[in-house]
Amino acid sequence: MNAEEIKELIMELSRTVGISGSEDEAAAAVSGYLERYTSQIWRDRLGNLIAFKGGQNDGAEPFSLALVAHLDEIGAMVTRIEEGGALRFTGVGGIDPRILPGQPVQVHGKTVLKGVIGAKAPHLLTVKERREELKFEDLFIDLGLSREQAEMQVRIGDLVSFDAPPVAMVAGNSLAGKSLDNRAGVAALVICAAELAAVCHRANLYFVASVQEEVGLRGAITAAYGLVPDLAVAIDVTHGEAPGLAPPDVFELGGGPVISVGPNYHPALTRRLEEVASADRFAVQREADPASPGTDAWVIQVSREGIPCALLSIPLRYMHTTVEMLNLDDLTNTGRLLASFARSLDRPFVEGLACF
Amino acid sequence: MEALIKELVETYGPSGEETAVRELIDEKVRGSVDRTFTDNLGNLFALREGPAPRLMFSAHMDEIGVIVTHIDGNGFLRITPIGGVAPHLLVGQRLRFKDGVIGTVYHEKIKGLKELSWPKLYLDIGAASREAAKERVRIGDMACLHQPFVNLGERYLAKAMDDRIGCAVLVEAARRLPPSLPQGVCFLFSVQEEVGLRGATTAAYRLEPDYGFAVDVTSVGDTPEAPLMAVSLGKGPAIKVKDSSVLCHPRVRELMIETAEREKIPYQLEVLERGGTDAGAIHLSREGIPSGAVSIPCRYVHAPSEMVDVSDVRHAVNLVMKLSTRAWPLLDSGNGSR
Repeated sequence: MNAEEIKELIMELSRTVGISGSEDEAAAAVSGYLERYTSQIWRDRLGNLIAFKGGQNDGAEPFSLALVAHLDEIGAMVTRIEEGGALRFTGVGGIDPRILPGQPVQVHGKTVLKGVIGAKAPHLLTVKERREELKFEDLFIDLGLSREQAEMQVRIGDLVSFDAPPVAMVAGNSLAGKSLDNRAGVAALVICAAELAAVCHRANLYFVASVQEEVGLRGAITAAYGLVPDLAVAIDVTHGEAPGLAPPDVFELGGGPVISVGPNYHPALTRRLEEVASADRFAVQREADPASPGTDAWVIQVSREGIPCALLSIPLRYMHTTVEMLNLDDLTNTGRLLASFARSLDRPFVEGLACF
Repeated sequence: MEALIKELVETYGPSGEETAVRELIDEKVRGSVDRTFTDNLGNLFALREGPAPRLMFSAHMDEIGVIVTHIDGNGFLRITPIGGVAPHLLVGQRLRFKDGVIGTVYHEKIKGLKELSWPKLYLDIGAASREAAKERVRIGDMACLHQPFVNLGERYLAKAMDDRIGCAVLVEAARRLPPSLPQGVCFLFSVQEEVGLRGATTAAYRLEPDYGFAVDVTSVGDTPEAPLMAVSLGKGPAIKVKDSSVLCHPRVRELMIETAEREKIPYQLEVLERGGTDAGAIHLSREGIPSGAVSIPCRYVHAPSEMVDVSDVRHAVNLVMKLSTRAWPLLDSGNGSR
C-alpha cells in the first residue's frame, strides 16, 4: 500500500463506528480490506473478525501466528430518558467526562440521531461547581427532542458514538481523530496483510480484529482459545509525547513502532522483533511493562497451555479523546515490521520457544 | 411458589458452602427434569434433554456472608467478608453459622460511620471466654445473615433474595415446562458467584451451551435519592443490556425482547453500572457463548433485607419458560450469526 492508500485506510477506519459489543459496522469495513489479501474470513461467536492466510511450510509440521489488534472503540450508552427529553448515559470503556461537554455525538436508536453533549454556561456555574470535577451525572445528551419524541426513537441501552471526523494535519505526516485507539492497530494488520500478499511465508497467519478489548480484553480471550496459535503479536497504541509529559511514560511520534519488554512477553519474540527491525533499518522504540499494559497480549499469554506473545505499539497522543493523534510513518512501519517478523518465522524458531 | 421462596432464602449458603441449598434445590427440581448432576465445584445441573442448540440458564445458589479470622482472648470473633458486604450494614445484625450458632455484630469505639471498617467489627456469639468460643466456632467458619422471610403483600422481603429468587424462578420454570421442547435446556444452580462468577466459569466450560442466560437480581433506581437507573420494582423483569461483567449479545437481547413482546410479558431494559453476573463468565467460556440475562428488580441488594415484587417474579418465571420453549437458531461452530 502506498502512502495515500494508507492515509485513506486509516481515515476510513477512524470514521467507522464499532463500540465494544457492537462492532459489526467496523468489522465490515475491515473485512473489505482483509479479504483482498487472505483466503478465508469469518467472525466467531463473540464477533471477533478473523482472516486466515496459509503459509508454505515445505512439508514441515504447520504452525500459526496470530496478529491481534482490537477493533472496538470506547463510547457511551443511554441509561435514562429525562422529563425534558435529555438522555442520561454511562461510558462503555474508559471515557473521560472532562472531554465530553460540547461534544457532538450520534445516538444509535431506531435511526442514527445527531445530538450534542450539553453543559451549563460558565456564567451560570456556582463557585463550587467551577472547582468540582465533572461527573457523568452532570452530563446529558440533547437531541433537541421532547421526551415523547425521544422515546419514539431511543431505548435504554442504545449506543452513543462520537461524531468527530478525522483531521489530516497540515504540517508533517500526522492525523488526528476518534478511535485511532485501536483502528491504527487494525490498519497495521491490513498493511501487513498487503505486504505479505505476494510473498512466501512459512507460518499460517491469522489476522484477528478482536472485539470488546476496552471493556476487559474479552474478545481476545475467546479468539485465542479458539485459534490456538503457536505464537501471537498484539498490536495496540501507546502514549505519545506531548507538553507536560516525559519519558518513560511517553514515546516519540515519528520515532517508530514501540516494542514492549516485560513478563507479558516472550523474550525470544521481543528479540526477533528487534533483530528484524534492525535488519530492515526500521527505527523502533522500547517500552518497559513491569505489569499488565492492559492489552490483548495479557489474556492471550495465559490461554490454554500458554501462548508466547509480543506487543507492538503505535505512539498516540491524547488517548481516549476524539482527537487522538498519530504519525503515519509509525503506522506504516508497524505494518511492515509485522510483515518482516512473520516472514522470518520458521519451525525451529517456534520449537525453541518452549526451551528456556 | 411463596413456600419455595421462603424455604430457599432462609437456607444457609455463603459462597463455597452451598450444600444445604443444593440439596434443597435438587429435591425440588429433580422431578421436573431428565436428570440432575453436580460437578467438582458443587454446581448443580438440572437437564432437560433435547435437540441442538442447548440453552443454559444460570442462577447462583451462594449468598454473601462473613468468615471468622480470629478468636480473641475474651471470646469475641473477628470477621472478614465473603463477597461484597458493606460493614455498616452488618452492625446490630444477627449472623448464623452452618450448625446454628448465632451471634450479633457490633463495633469498637468509633467517632462516626466513616471510621467503620472490618477491623473495627466483631461478632459476639455470647461466649464467656476464648475457650467457650472455640468449642462452638473455628477459624474459617462462615456465617450468613439471620433474617426471616416476610410477605408484605405485593412484595417479598428477605435475606439472600440475591440470588435465591433466581433459583426459585428456575425451579418454578422447570416445573411448568411442557413435555416436549424445541431444544435442550439446562438449569444451572451455580456456586461462588459472589466471589467472582467462579461456579459459572467451570459449569459453562463443562456443558458447552450454545446460549447462556444469567437469572439474577438487579439494582433499581426507584427509591429516595437512588442513583439514576431506569429500572423499577413492579414493572416486569429486566432484560439486561450491560453490566460490569458483560455486554449482552445484541442478537440474544433482540430475541429476548421479541419473546417478551410476543408473549405480552412486561419487561424493562437494564443498564447496570456496577455489578456483574454469571453471564460475565459464561460468555467468555471456550470460544465464546452468546449470552444474555433475565434480571429480577431488587431493592437493597446485599443489605440484610432485600425486596422484590411478586408480579416481577411471576413474569420472570413466564419469561424463562417462554425463552425455553421458543426455538433458538442453530449456530455454526466458529462462525456465529451476528
